[in-house]
Amino acid sequence: MSGVALKSIVKSYGETTVVHGIDLEVKSQEFVVLVGPSGCGKSTTLRMVAGLEEISAGEVTIGDRLINNVAPKDRDVAMVFQNYALYPHLNVADNIAFGLRIRKTPEIETKRLVAEVAKILGLEEYLDRQPKDLSGGQRQRVAMGRAIVRHPKVFLFDEPLSNLDAKLRTQMRAEIKRLHKRLGVTSIYVTHDQVEAMTLADRIVIMRDGYIEQVGTPMEVFNHPINTFVASFMGSPAMNQVNATLVKTEHGYCAQIGDRLVSLPQSQQLEDRVGKEIVVGVRPEYVSIVPLEGTQGVPIEVDLLETLGSEALLHTHVGDAVFVIKAETIDGLEHLHALKEIYFNPSRMTVFDAETGIALNHPTMN
Amino acid sequence: MQSYNEKLAWLGRHLKREWQIYVLLAPTLIWFIVFLYKPMYGLQIAFKDYSVFKGIVGSPWVGFEHFTTLFGNDHFIRAIKNTVIISSLSLVFGFPVPILLALMFNEILNPKFKKTTQTIVYLPHFISTVIIAGIVITAFSPSSGVVNLLLQSLGFDPVYFLVKPEWFRPIFIGSGIWQESGFSSIVFLAAMAGVNPALYESAVVDGASRWQMMWKITIPCILPTIIIMLIIRIGNLLEVGFELIILLYQPATYDTADVISTYIYRQGLQAGQYDLAAAAGLFNAVVAFILVMSANTISKRLSNTSLW
Amino acid sequence: MNLNMNLYSRGDKAFVYMNMFLVGLFTISTLYPFIYIAALSFSSGDAATSGQVVLTPVDVTIEAYKRVLSEPMFWTSYKNTFIYTLFGTITSLLIIIPGAYALSRPQLIGRRFWNLVVAFTMWFNAGMIPFFLNMRDLGLLDSYFGIIIGFACNAFNIILLRNFFEAIPSSLEEAARMDGANEFQVLWKVFIPLAKPAIATITLFCIVARWNGFFWAMVLLRDEQKIPLQVFLRQMITQLSDDDEFASTLIESVYSFETVSAAIMVCSIIPVLFIYPFIQRYFNKGILLGGVKE
Repeated sequence: MSGVALKSIVKSYGETTVVHGIDLEVKSQEFVVLVGPSGCGKSTTLRMVAGLEEISAGEVTIGDRLINNVAPKDRDVAMVFQNYALYPHLNVADNIAFGLRIRKTPEIETKRLVAEVAKILGLEEYLDRQPKDLSGGQRQRVAMGRAIVRHPKVFLFDEPLSNLDAKLRTQMRAEIKRLHKRLGVTSIYVTHDQVEAMTLADRIVIMRDGYIEQVGTPMEVFNHPINTFVASFMGSPAMNQVNATLVKTEHGYCAQIGDRLVSLPQSQQLEDRVGKEIVVGVRPEYVSIVPLEGTQGVPIEVDLLETLGSEALLHTHVGDAVFVIKAETIDGLEHLHALKEIYFNPSRMTVFDAETGIALNHPTMN
Repeated sequence: MQSYNEKLAWLGRHLKREWQIYVLLAPTLIWFIVFLYKPMYGLQIAFKDYSVFKGIVGSPWVGFEHFTTLFGNDHFIRAIKNTVIISSLSLVFGFPVPILLALMFNEILNPKFKKTTQTIVYLPHFISTVIIAGIVITAFSPSSGVVNLLLQSLGFDPVYFLVKPEWFRPIFIGSGIWQESGFSSIVFLAAMAGVNPALYESAVVDGASRWQMMWKITIPCILPTIIIMLIIRIGNLLEVGFELIILLYQPATYDTADVISTYIYRQGLQAGQYDLAAAAGLFNAVVAFILVMSANTISKRLSNTSLW
Repeated sequence: MNLNMNLYSRGDKAFVYMNMFLVGLFTISTLYPFIYIAALSFSSGDAATSGQVVLTPVDVTIEAYKRVLSEPMFWTSYKNTFIYTLFGTITSLLIIIPGAYALSRPQLIGRRFWNLVVAFTMWFNAGMIPFFLNMRDLGLLDSYFGIIIGFACNAFNIILLRNFFEAIPSSLEEAARMDGANEFQVLWKVFIPLAKPAIATITLFCIVARWNGFFWAMVLLRDEQKIPLQVFLRQMITQLSDDDEFASTLIESVYSFETVSAAIMVCSIIPVLFIYPFIQRYFNKGILLGGVKE
């Protein structure tokens, strides 16, 4: 197995640059997910690794091999496409065997490998079917089978689940994860769906406008977003962001929201921002509806309550800012409707500079 | 210079990676150059006193002499006139027929009847011009042709149609309608197939008759197609089926039958006046080009989609 | 939209039947000339020259066919037409398919320009004389090869197939490349199988065009031994209208010039009728129309 390294990768089409010098190291056997809104350059980056797009500048290495000028077929990578890209004129077995046959693998060996892959993916019954006679999930599996049958060094996934319905997506997601555990192949996975990124990734790479915003494990990027963009992109519903002023009291740094003082996580970074505008980020999941010691409550008004079953989403506002709270429904809904104040746990808060949007209490900065 | 070298290096890498598509493109390009673009180069003889021995390049220039000759020639003027007249008449009489036919096909409920009749009316399109001419000549023969038999049985005198200048155009245009109407209706049928069925369904609920639906739904919906096809036809005004004319016309009917292409054929290929005929061809090609380009521009503006 | 007939108003019923009647009439008038020619070909020479044949054969005989089939020129020209059709169509496909594929590839440098080079020939054409002189200068007069190669390609077919190739998702090409295929393999193993309907359509059009082609064969071929059927037929027909002296050699009581010509026409139409059902299959697939737009 080998890792993939991207060094200052640039992609430009004439005057427009869509990827601005990305650095990324994917370790051997690692599952890395590139996530970001459409147009952020994540697919382009993947396609440069695949060899489907030329690399304008920078270097891509797989293992120790520089592959900038290596043809896709010689890079020893396999790719799963968003629309599956199954050959409509070939049946499932021939689709899976296509790459092997192109590479002149002996027919007996081809048959054995196809059977093996079909078994792994549960496609044995469908080997004679045409792609058009398969369901979305089955097509997806064939596309994966076509990738894994060649035992490539690297798997590339380009939004492979986005054409599936929600239920199947969840199921296939788990299947991809299981497959990765079993095969242990270095994988790069592109998606715009942050849930997919969270569930699948060993490490998540969040991209925007051709730049990498943050790289980290799912929990790192969830709990410690490096800026307001990452904070609002990862997690659903998104992290709440409330404008406040940073003040210093005898209890340490506090955020002044309206006339209330909310305790903040204490950090040296905050010192030179005292008196300045900040943004307080709190995840909907981390809001307390019961008073917490050492901090004042923030007054809210409930606009709407969405029941999800065991949980409910409270759409509220704090001042002018929209604020969403995720609360348990175990005690009934009445007290949620009647909610007047909420409390923030200092250890679960992120403080951002209001001007630059950069986190002020990020662990990497301390 | 740096960027020039960079570009060159990039091109080198590109060709190393993608040389195969250039190999695939090569036969087509070579064919187009050898058989279609090289003759364009040869068009220069329209401005030369072409001699077979001196060749295309070696022959001396004469400027617009051939064009002056052509426009002073009654037969060439006649050919232009005939081209425009035959083409316009074909348009006036021939253009509505496929539309009517498509409308009628669209109203047929029995799928078997529809398929059979369509199969038959498309067929003449695939029949060679020589056979069309053969049928016309046989059917209009003065002694044994079925048309004259019919006339005689109605008490008229037999007519030798093919030597009568006044009969040439009706016969030519009529055989064109017979041959192409069915096939041309496909475009309109396709347009009708694209009409949202919900329109008809709501019309049925509103109590519209089939006649009303045809006028109020089908025709308005295919109007854009009709207009575009009309523009294409006007753009191709100089294109007349000259092969059929060559097969059907005779010196006796030149007055009404001789068009630009047949004139070029006679002057160039039969009489060997290559330079003069090439000049006539160039004139024809330039006017046709202008017409086609204008048609394309107009239809682009009308439909926001280019024809090509 | 096809309701039960009983649900139609009287006006609608009248309309539907009237329409069927008119379509039937048009169809019969389309068909009639063919019936007429077929009837002539099976009639006796006397019946044909004296103008008795209208709808059905008179004095049924196959003498005209016997005369045609015993004519060496008929067989020579039939064989030639077969050669031109077979090799002409193969050559056309060998040029058109790779060319259309290359022109459909986004990575082709100057793609717009090359496409324009092809499309321009639809709008501007050097014309008959320069084309003829070019063929002569290339030494392609009076040659099988000249007829086969000189008309192997045209912009319309290339654009038609190119549009079809362009409609194939690019991810299929990319998947094939990732699977290790080179361009030739992508074309051969993925695009050609997928473009079967379009290629079939083009093949059938090439066949029909080749089978029916006569003008350039007439112009370019001098050697009687190389002419295709249509040129031979044309010679017969011009004689028919010119009352050539050769025609008089054909006047016998069992067959006449008319019946022999009719018999050749029938022999020439039959192969077209044979492939016509195959062409028909693609009428409704919209492929024919795809070529209109770029």
